Amino acid sequence: MAPRMTASTAKILPLVAPIRRIRSSGSSAGGDQSERPFISSAMLAIMMLIASEMMLFSGLIGSFLIFRLQAAFWPPPALPRLPIAVTWVNTFVLLSSALTMTLALRAAHRSRQRLLRRYLLATLALGVTFLAVQGSEWVRLVAHGLKLSSGVYGGTFYLLIGCHGAHVTAGVIWLACVAMAAMGGRYNARNAGGIEVCAVYWYFVCAVWPLLFGLVYLM
Amino acid sequence: MSSTAAVAAHGAHAEPHALGFWRTYIFSEDHKMIGKQFLFMALFMMSIGGLMAMLMRWELAWPETQVPGFGWVPEPFMYEGAIPPNTYNAMFTMHATIMIFFVVMPILVGCFGNFLIPLMIGARDMAFPKLNMLSFWTGAVAGVILLSSFFVTGGPAAAGWTSYAPLSAVPIYTGVDWGQNLWCISIIVLGASSLMGSINYITTIINMRTKGMYFFRLPLTIWSLFITAILLLLALPVLTTAIALLLFDRLGGTHFFLPAGGGEPLLWQHLFWFFGHPEVYIMILPAMGIASEVIATFSRKPIFGYRAMAYAMIAIAGLSWIVWGHHMFVSGMDPVLGSGFMITTMIIGVPSAIKTFNWLGTLYKGNIHYTAAMMNALAFVAMFVIGGMSGIWMACTPVDMYIHDTYFIVAHIHYVLFGGSLFGVFAGITYWYPKMFGRMMNETLGKIHFWITFVSFNCTFFPMHILGMAGHMRRIYNPQQYDFLKPIIPINEFISISAFVLGAAQFLLLANIIWSYFKGAKATENPWYANTLEWTTPSPPPHGNWPGPVPIVYRGPYEYSSPGVAEDYLPQSQLLEHSTGAANKRTH
Amino acid sequence: MLEHMYFPHDISTFGPQIDRLFLLIFWLVLVVWTAVMITMVVFMIRYRARPGRKAEYIEGNSRLEIIWTTATAAILIVLAFMSRSTWADIKEHGPPGDVFYAVTGKQFNWEFTYPGPDGKLGTKDDIIVENELHVPVNKVVRIDLTSKDVIHSFYLPNMRLRQDAVPGRIIHVWFEATETGQYEIPCSQLCGFGHSGMKGNLTVQSQEDFDKWLKDLYANPPAPPSATEGASPK
Ligand code: HEA
Ligand code: HEA
Ligand code: CUA
Ligand SMILES: [Cu+2]
Repeated sequence: MAPRMTASTAKILPLVAPIRRIRSSGSSAGGDQSERPFISSAMLAIMMLIASEMMLFSGLIGSFLIFRLQAAFWPPPALPRLPIAVTWVNTFVLLSSALTMTLALRAAHRSRQRLLRRYLLATLALGVTFLAVQGSEWVRLVAHGLKLSSGVYGGTFYLLIGCHGAHVTAGVIWLACVAMAAMGGRYNARNAGGIEVCAVYWYFVCAVWPLLFGLVYLM
Repeated sequence: MSSTAAVAAHGAHAEPHALGFWRTYIFSEDHKMIGKQFLFMALFMMSIGGLMAMLMRWELAWPETQVPGFGWVPEPFMYEGAIPPNTYNAMFTMHATIMIFFVVMPILVGCFGNFLIPLMIGARDMAFPKLNMLSFWTGAVAGVILLSSFFVTGGPAAAGWTSYAPLSAVPIYTGVDWGQNLWCISIIVLGASSLMGSINYITTIINMRTKGMYFFRLPLTIWSLFITAILLLLALPVLTTAIALLLFDRLGGTHFFLPAGGGEPLLWQHLFWFFGHPEVYIMILPAMGIASEVIATFSRKPIFGYRAMAYAMIAIAGLSWIVWGHHMFVSGMDPVLGSGFMITTMIIGVPSAIKTFNWLGTLYKGNIHYTAAMMNALAFVAMFVIGGMSGIWMACTPVDMYIHDTYFIVAHIHYVLFGGSLFGVFAGITYWYPKMFGRMMNETLGKIHFWITFVSFNCTFFPMHILGMAGHMRRIYNPQQYDFLKPIIPINEFISISAFVLGAAQFLLLANIIWSYFKGAKATENPWYANTLEWTTPSPPPHGNWPGPVPIVYRGPYEYSSPGVAEDYLPQSQLLEHSTGAANKRTH
Repeated sequence: MLEHMYFPHDISTFGPQIDRLFLLIFWLVLVVWTAVMITMVVFMIRYRARPGRKAEYIEGNSRLEIIWTTATAAILIVLAFMSRSTWADIKEHGPPGDVFYAVTGKQFNWEFTYPGPDGKLGTKDDIIVENELHVPVNKVVRIDLTSKDVIHSFYLPNMRLRQDAVPGRIIHVWFEATETGQYEIPCSQLCGFGHSGMKGNLTVQSQEDFDKWLKDLYANPPAPPSATEGASPK
């Protein structure tokens, strides 16, 4: 995986581009890593980022559970219920985007450019749909009187779901960049690292959602 | 990893002066320059944090009198030079925030981490140089945000570095409005900087080690920085969560920490200390690594129990996640839970004991050279033991009920953080200065600085244990308001005078750093006859770290006085051609 | 001054237990610390560098490693269990109370609520006195502790007692004074600019004096504390 990803990730994610070799001064006797690392640096970095994000969500979820378990009434009587049916559908939208992402990866690994583009765009579309539905539900909830300041019920709802929404937004932007690069035909079987890294992040975003959905909407 | 084409394309960057001033000194992507930038930022911040400490010490010994020379400070910060209570609260809040987040962490993790990791593992730079640069500049922005809070109305944050809610959650409770918000924002931004740094460190250490540099051949400094990076990666997001909730309470009208809206004040403490305890080990582990490095080098002996040292650090890091409740014994937490936290806290003393005894074992039958770096490292061991042992009293729940929030805790803080972390920093600076700046530091000046610091440090902070036993609360600006504290006023005066000496002594360090930069003797490649890889390249190392190929590693980092060779050191990268093979094969 | 370089005079029933634990740890730590320091200084002198000498190549010793690990672990775990039993005595199974009060922290005073003439807390005739706590000697005092605004901490140095007062929670504490006298009740949790100087007075009296004082209190109850004092959240 490692050697495949360099060029593409360097474009899309300039900050995590692997270091360039500065000089090899002709000699091969040096200890410059000649063996491939077990796992590429970019992949390692994204996994580290996800570990860190998991702690962030754990903090939020832990706080939510404390409020939830202490509260006598949940949701508090005067406040609107959360839209469960729509969100079930939306959950499937997000989860199916993980599926299309997998298919996109498969296509990339087989150098099937048209398929790759199609699945990336499908993933992007599903992600955007998810955000749009979430957004419109938020607008409705606010209109029905569920505000950030509606006690800890409103507060945790907007914070947890909002935090996830922010992550989806970031993922969608990243996906758009990857899709754009794919339009230019940048990925193929030997060079799919840029998609792999993005996919790992997207899987994370998708995997967190059912947990939040279960806790915040269903519990 | 990267293709040959990439090498050719970027070959131009190899020439050291091809980059110009801005890319070389300001927006540098070279890990060595970024390390130095962290060092200078931290030293600058230390003078501000130290100045706060001096003002606090004046107030505690001579409360409500004019601080000499401060008559010009405008109201309401000071009244004709006298410090009002809210300013005092702001001072210890900023003192601790600056010292912890902008002095100790930037030097230990930012400076030593950046400077040493690639050099010691045999890499040409960090895995992600641009991310590295961004990490420094994000940290610098966080520093500016924090300092700017001195200039907003209401003054800087004044709820303690622990910012307990609800005090910190509602502006009218402290009278501080934007100061506290800026504090929150600053720490969140700093969290982003640490995140970038720690991702970089972990990736670099896992993926960029040179040939032969197996994990159990890594210098202990690198082990410590690796473990620290993992702690940073996992701990800071929790603090970010807590501070985000706090900011929403302050600005968004939520009630996460306010009981009036169904919130829970203790939640802040749980989140904060869940981060806070790993945080204190973030601040001590790299110092432990540095001390191990320096002690082995100047004892001319392998570190005693290399693997035990590495495992002990892993154990400390692991245990640090399950002890946070020891800060909350009297918070109203369930007493049974308190007992659980007491037991885990006691157990965390065990790996620290392993480290201490192994340092002693390293001295045993050594050939000890008393350089300034070695003296600071030995002081680190001695002071850390005192600080760690005061932790045992505090871990004991019934005793902590009495000494919690007294100067006993303040004594502990400074024994571990100044006596531990800062002596480790001093040892590290004096040890690696030649490599960083290409010149030797002045040994005599270094020793004078060491002795004055060592003596005045103990005179400042040891008596605080006695204050704590007498019941002297922390975070009070005028101890003379209490009858039961009146008899110990002279101790407070003694402490303050010692503290001024301690503060003034730091000018010697500053002077040494500046003087040696221009006038110090030129440093050779390996002035201390040390084994690790950073000593196999010129001082200071060129762009790309080694002028020739990166060295290959044949053995562990501490093969001092090996019977296989005549000299008393044996660099990791030295291939022994005619040996029997024993010295070459030794892997630890 | 020397006599003040120690704990304040103890007047509680559980204080001696805490002081004993403190001293136990003191001796334990002193012994370990002295041993560590002596070893260190001896090594530092004995093995200082001398020309022509080479250090001995010793990489470690697993036996020693195991010995000192188990030894420290054993000491610390024993200590933990000893502390645990004292803690349980104080916190988990305290004696039944004789006198009951409610104490409320607020910026920057203590409100002590005494039961009115009906002898019961939580009724209309309760009397609130600011900063003056009177208790009879040799009686178990049980207190419901809370706070109106931020976290304060109820600290009785002479009783070795400390408990945070947390808004939104009621926390029970108890103590039994063994000597009469006048003492201070500092607040020991940072609670704002008035934290330093937030203190009450504790008067431990004989039962007769206490009854007399209580009668006076019932005869001329103080005006209830002004509501403006102590900021409250929006
Ligand atoms: C670098 C920082 C650092 C380090 C390393 C430590 C290390 C330890 N700390 Fe400390 N601590 C702080 C920084 C640190 N602490 C800070 C900043 C606070 C205050 C925060 C605030 O409220 O503002 C604090 C507060 C604090 C408290 C809360 C007190 C209170 O508020 O009431 C407690 C309680 O248990 C505690 C315990 C310990 C223990 C048991 C260790 C152990 O890890 C120590 C282990 C080491 C040894 C024990 C010495 C070596 C061992 C031997 C030589 C073996 C033999 C020893 C025996 C058999 C006893 N610390
Ligand atoms: C790394 C951490 C660190 C360091 C290095 C220090 C260093 C010092 N600290 Fe700090 N301190 C803390 C961390 C640290 N502290 C923490 C976490 C708290 C708790 C805060 C809270 O309650 O929220 C605290 C609280 C604290 C208190 C208790 C305040 C209170 O509770 O009311 C006191 C009181 O004496 C104190 C004093 C000092 C002194 C005299 C120094 C000296 O060692 C400083 C000496 C250094 C310098 C002076 C810097 C060098 C100076 C220059 C180059 C410029 C020279 C300036 C002059 C000579 C005027 N500190
Ligand atoms: Cu009330 Cu401090
Ligand atoms: Cu701790």
